[in-house]
Order: sequence, then structure tokens, then C-alpha cells
Amino acid sequence: MLSRLDQNSFKSEPEEVLPILTEQGWRVLVGIGERAELTAPVLRRIGGALFAELAGLGIVHLGVGLELTPEQTAELAYGIRLRAWRPPARYRQKPDEEKVWHLSDVTLLTRDPAAAKAHFDRLDAVGKAVHFARDLVVAPGNVLTPPAFVAALGGIPGIEIEAIDPKKAGLDLLQAVGQGSAFAPVLAVLRWRGAGKKDKPTALVGKGITFDTGGIDIKPRLDMEAMKGDMGGGAAVAGAMMALAARDAPVNAVGIIAIAENMPSGRATRPGDVVRGYSGTTVEIVDTDAEGRLALADALAYTADQFHPAQIIDLATLTGAVEIALGFERAGLFCTDDALAERLFAAGEEEDEKLWRLPLTDLYDDAIKSDIADLRNCTWERGPDHIHAARFLQHFVPETVPWAHLDIAGMSEADEDGPLAAEGPTGFGVRLLDRVLG
Amino acid sequence: MAASRFEGKKDQTLLLLTPAGLKLTRLLLVGLGKAKAIDAKGAQALGGTVVAQLQGSGDAEVTLAVDPIDGAALPAAEIAANAAFGAKLRSYRFDRYRTKEKPEDKPSLKKLVIALADQSAAKKAYQPLEAVAEGVFLTRDLASEPANIIYPESLAEQAKKLAEIGVDVEVLGEKQMKKLGMGALLGVGQGSERESQLVVMRWNGGPDDQAPLAFIGKGVTFDTGGISIKPAANMEDMKWDMGGSAVVIGLMKALALRNAKVNVVGVVGLVENMPSGTAQRPGDVVTTMSGQTVEVINTDAEGRLVLADALWYTQDRFKPQFMIDLATLTGAIIIALGDQYAGLFSNDDKLSERLVAAGKAVGEGVWRLPIDDAYDKQIKSEIADMMNVGGREGGSITAAMFLKRFVNGVKWAHLDIAGVTWSKKDGPVSPKGATAFGVRLLDRLVADNYEK
Repeated sequence: MLSRLDQNSFKSEPEEVLPILTEQGWRVLVGIGERAELTAPVLRRIGGALFAELAGLGIVHLGVGLELTPEQTAELAYGIRLRAWRPPARYRQKPDEEKVWHLSDVTLLTRDPAAAKAHFDRLDAVGKAVHFARDLVVAPGNVLTPPAFVAALGGIPGIEIEAIDPKKAGLDLLQAVGQGSAFAPVLAVLRWRGAGKKDKPTALVGKGITFDTGGIDIKPRLDMEAMKGDMGGGAAVAGAMMALAARDAPVNAVGIIAIAENMPSGRATRPGDVVRGYSGTTVEIVDTDAEGRLALADALAYTADQFHPAQIIDLATLTGAVEIALGFERAGLFCTDDALAERLFAAGEEEDEKLWRLPLTDLYDDAIKSDIADLRNCTWERGPDHIHAARFLQHFVPETVPWAHLDIAGMSEADEDGPLAAEGPTGFGVRLLDRVLG
Repeated sequence: MAASRFEGKKDQTLLLLTPAGLKLTRLLLVGLGKAKAIDAKGAQALGGTVVAQLQGSGDAEVTLAVDPIDGAALPAAEIAANAAFGAKLRSYRFDRYRTKEKPEDKPSLKKLVIALADQSAAKKAYQPLEAVAEGVFLTRDLASEPANIIYPESLAEQAKKLAEIGVDVEVLGEKQMKKLGMGALLGVGQGSERESQLVVMRWNGGPDDQAPLAFIGKGVTFDTGGISIKPAANMEDMKWDMGGSAVVIGLMKALALRNAKVNVVGVVGLVENMPSGTAQRPGDVVTTMSGQTVEVINTDAEGRLVLADALWYTQDRFKPQFMIDLATLTGAIIIALGDQYAGLFSNDDKLSERLVAAGKAVGEGVWRLPIDDAYDKQIKSEIADMMNVGGREGGSITAAMFLKRFVNGVKWAHLDIAGVTWSKKDGPVSPKGATAFGVRLLDRLVADNYEK
């Protein structure tokens, strides 16, 4: 055995998986590295690697016997759960034969199954919510239309939902984004009451553009199909709300998702149009493809006004610029409150959904000054559009409310397989928000 | 004053012509804001505003009256010295190539007199600031000069002039660099007729046994992009692709002039990146001084190749306390942080904190960005130890990850100054053009932390 290990240069590092076909069937070596360094993120990655390597190998029943504590065992199982997702089968008539999963169940051996299960149940509630968020992100634009998005949200167990008509509520910026589409825009309000009535809720706000063509400022056709995922922020909020309900979290939370489809048409918003938002602030829309900040502006102002939240966290696949700044390893974090920023940063490290704080100062405000209105939604000059967008949003949040904005454009979907998600939607934000809310 | 709505708010100004009863041509009122909030930066901006407002007024002399301000943290002498510093910085002009400028288009202001009670204290406070201003001016001159005037050898000559103020200067040519194995730096310059240079400047103001602080600058005197040539529009800006080296040279001058009590070494790698029959090609593999090999995917990601050898050489020869490099390195940093902050990448939290603090104090902001190992995969090469580019996304980060491989574990910070080296508009203490961003920042870093 040892000589064979040498040949295979199996170093027993974390995430190393070596399946060996013996006469007794498959045996699998799993690297775990140093025991002292077996933190939750490492265990989850090991679980993820285990699934990724073995799912299509021919193993049907897998038993895992590692010397781990019950909690560690549960974390490893959670990694398997997170990694074991693929697009819903309903988008194919026949399954993809190259990607068949033979693995149907995994049994983990532990000295205290009850303790492991209790820990796993808590995690699995979040894991299922991550899968839900991925299902939403991967859904095509003709399937997840604005009304279909609302219907999907209505199916979250334990969550109250209200659909608000932007026209009636004075959400004219959200309306402007969606008015070119055959489907009316909507502001979805999800509520979870797990704490006392006096506890101010945390507000989670998500960008939910079900498809973003760019509108009249239409995007180039290359890769435009990826714009079905421009509701990744909304999906993260929906997933987080689902997780809170599933694990009966002792907190109050309100999830607000600004849902619209950005289409060019005879009634679409034109570049140069000036629109007065819910807060009264007027915006010159110089680029109809900088629409996410418009939808969020109204959602943020409405949230602060209607729900008096203790804090607001918004998530959006907002800008391409944040991808140039931080690549595909960290989301951009903009925050008006140092304590909230530190909590979010720490949660990101713990959950392997990493953030990096970026500047939010008036130094950049020239870019969003308009000659005709209070603000313009962006500048055509090449520059830090992600910072400009964050500053734009800040105008719609009262100074008294701690607020964080997460630009997840580089993180919501992955171009290649990662430890906890295959290529495709990652569900980024669900675990982070769940952790922050406690 | 009421009619003019002048309330003394910060940066508010009111220019009055010959008010009755005063023997003056004009009177300029400058708002300083709340007394408590007046700091050195504010006083510098005051001086800068005075110059900006009056340099074309027709008057040759202006007197700035500085009385002690109740409740201000800064004594009058400090306010005066910093105002003078700001005025000097703002008065910079690069006009040596204008041969036909009309006299009325030239600045009329020749002299700024600062009137205050405690003149000797103000003069004393001004002395080190003037040294820094001299360093800033040198940096701005070098960055502003066109590339037919400033090329590797002529820039090395400029550095050699620092010998007059006590800086030891050594220049290595291509032969010596070849012997040292600097294949990355030499590869960048091989397309040019100009000989590449590596300049080592040493200021020994500290005890003999003190390890030096090291500052390393990218000095691509003109960057065409090489065979991966740049588009024509705005290519003339590439004359200031030696901005990092200009900062290091200006910093050495400032430290020497103010007789800084510290040992410092400045190393600048000077090359011209040209396409030609001898130029390096995309796909070429070069061996750096460290022994690591690099596949040059894009000849326009050349700055990191120059720095790779300069960094390795510096840590190998000088065993410095830390290395800080400055470079107009990536276009991505202009998207990441715009023109308000330089990107800071570092393997040391303490050094980062000190840089951030110094930046806040002098108004040259730096913003830290991540260097996680996860980004490393973007620069994996199929053929060599690494590639010199890692794609558009996170482009400044992957450049820093590349450099990190050449610091050999030494405490290190990398400042990507591509967005802040040249300003399209006037700032409080710098006219549009070369800003010399970095000279005041690093002078302050040294003064606050390493001269005790």
C-alpha cells in the first residue's frame, strides 16, 4: 500500500482524494492535513472535494470513517451537501450522460450520532437554502420572470410575503427599470419574526433583475445569456430568509427584493430620462444599463422608511468594475458603520464567502453629479464604477441606519469548479447572511 | 461679506478689490472652517489656495497674515510653515518647453510673505518641509519630461546629481545586470536602443549598524507596450511610466536635504519598452535573478518584470528592514480605486497601518487591497514558474501576487500608483499634471516611525 501511495504522491493534504479500486471494491483515501488546522471551512472543503471526486466514479454508497468529533463530522457532511448541487433536471428532456451521479448516499461514522445530527440539522437548513438560491440564479429569464420570482418566494416555508406594486407605492425608480418589459416590476417583502415585537428587524435588500438586457443602452450580445443571473442578490436574500425560518432563528428580519426585467421596448426608459424616486431624490438616468442601483435606491429608501430596521445589508450583482478590482475571490464591501463592516468581514472569513472593504467617501462624488437632476446614475468615464454605485446608493439610506452594500458581481456565479460549488451559481451570500444574523 | 455669502467655511474664498482704507490692490479671504479642525493638511491647502487664486492676478507679491487661532490644535508657526509649504507645492509649473508664452500668460506672483509674530519658530518648522518640496519638484520634473529627454541613462544621470547633497549613487549597466542574472529586467529593455540601468542610491543618516529602509521604483521611461503594443490614443501618457522611480529619486533628495536620521536605500530599475527586431516576444521565457522563470505572455505587463529583479537584488544585497516599491503598474487599479487612492498590497499589517496613517496625514491616501493565495492560480504558467499576467479581473492583485514571489519573505509593501501619479485637474497642493504622489507619504512614514 505504501509504495503505491508513494507512486501516487498522496501527501494527505486537505482536499486530496485518492480512490483505489481493490478486490474488495473501492477504497478512498482522504487527505485531512494537520488535525489542529481542521476548522469548519477546511472540513467543508474536504467534504466538497470528496463529493466532486467520487460522484461520478461508480460508488453508490459511501461510508466515511474519519477520526473526527461529531461537530467536525457534521461540517464535513455539510461540505458534501453544499457541493452536491446541479441545475434542476427540468431543463433537460434526458439527463446529461457525461455527468451522471452514481453516488446516492453517504454514511458518516461518528461516536455520537445524535450530537452530529443536531449540528448537521442546523447547517443543513442553510445548505438547502443555498440550493434554493442556486436554483433561482440558474433559472432562465423566460422561466424566472418577475411574477414567477414572486411565486417562488411565496413557496418559502414559514415566511410571510407581500408583493408591492411600485406604481402604487411611489417606487418610480424601480418602475422605470421594469417599464420596458411585458412583466410588471414588483417589490417583494419577506418577513421572518423570530424575536420579540420590539426588536427592530435587520433588513436584507436584494437586487432582483430577472433578466438584464441593458434596456435601450443594450448590452453587446456576447455572453448576454449570463444576465439571467442578475438577480443573484435577490436570490441570496431569499435563501437567507429561508434559512432563518428553517432553523427557527431567534431574530427579526425583513427581506426586500426589487424585482424587474430590464428590456428595451417602445415604452422603455430612455437615456436622459429624469425620474423622482421614493425618497424624493431625482435621478438622471444616463445609462439604462446601470439599472440595479435604481431599483435598489427605491428598495433601500422604502425599507428605511417602512420598517425602521436596526441595520440594512444589501446584495447586488451590481458592477463589472468590482470584478476588475477584486476578481473572483472576494465581494466588494461598502459600509457606513465600522462595527457592521467588521462583523460582515469576519463572517465572510468564517463562511468562506469572503469580502473586502472598499472606500465609501465623497471624494468620488463628481461622477454622480447631474447637470439637471439631484444625481445621475453613473458616468461614462472609465473609472471605479463600483465605488460610484455605492455612493449613489448611500444617498437613499438615512445616515442614522448602519448600512452595508455587497457588490457580488464577481461571486454570484463561478466560471470554474470551486470547493463548495461546481461551475455555475454559488449561492454566495446565503451562508454569510445567515452567519451575520446569528 | 454678508452680501457675498462668505462664511469662512473650509475652502471658501472671497477676493475683494482695493477695499476702502487699505493700502493694498486686493484682499483675499480664505475660509478655514472650524478652528478645532485646522490641521497641517488644512494649512497646506490654505497656502495652495492663495497661490491658485492670485498667481495670475498681476501682482508679484502677496502677504499672508497668520495670527494664532483660538482653539486650533496647530500653533501659528506651524500654520504658517504649512501654508508656505502648500503654497510652494501649488506654485509648481513645468514650462521649460514653452518658448513663446506671452508675459501676461505667465504667473505674476513671485513672492509670498508670511506675516506672524513668531517668525523664527515658523522658519524652523518650514525647513524640513522645504526639503520635501524640493524632492516633490524633482519628482514632478522627472515625470513631466518627455521620453526623448528622460531615458534610462539620462534618468540615471539625474539620480547621480544627488551625490552633491550626500547621497551615494551607483549605476549598474546591462553588462553588470547580465552578470547578476537579471533576465526579467533586461528582457524588457532589449527592444530599445537605450541601455537599461539599475540605480542604487544610499543615504546613510542613521547608525552604521542599522539595516536600511528600502524603496524601489519602476522606471519605464517610455512604455509602448513592446510587441504587445498599446493603442495609439493617449500613448504619450506613457512617458510617466517611470513615476515610481521618480518618487524614489525625489524621496532620496528630500531625506538628504532634511538630513534624515536614518539609513535608506533607493533602487530604481530603468528601461525603455520598445517594439523592434530585438524586442522580446509574447511567449518568451526569462529567468529572473531569483532563479524563478517567467513566461512573458504580454510584453505590456513589463513593470512587474523590472520590479521582480530590482526587489530581489535589493533584499539580497541590503537585507533591509522593509521594502516598499512604487509603480504605475496596472490599469486595473484605475478601475479599482480611481484617482483618489493608491492601491496598497502588503505582507505586513504593521507596515500597512503606518502607510495608511501617513497617507491620511499628508493627504496622499492609500487603500489596502487583498493578496490571498487564492489569486495565485491566475498566474500559473503551462511552461514556466509563472506568467506575467493573470487576466483582467483582479488585475492589480495578481500583479502584486507576482511581485510577492520576489520579496523572499522580507516585510514588504507595494504601492500601485497608476491612478494617482498624473492628475487631470488641479488639486489643493498640486496643479494638474505630475503629482509626485508618494514623496510626501513616504517622507512622513520615515519621519514618524523610523527616525527615533
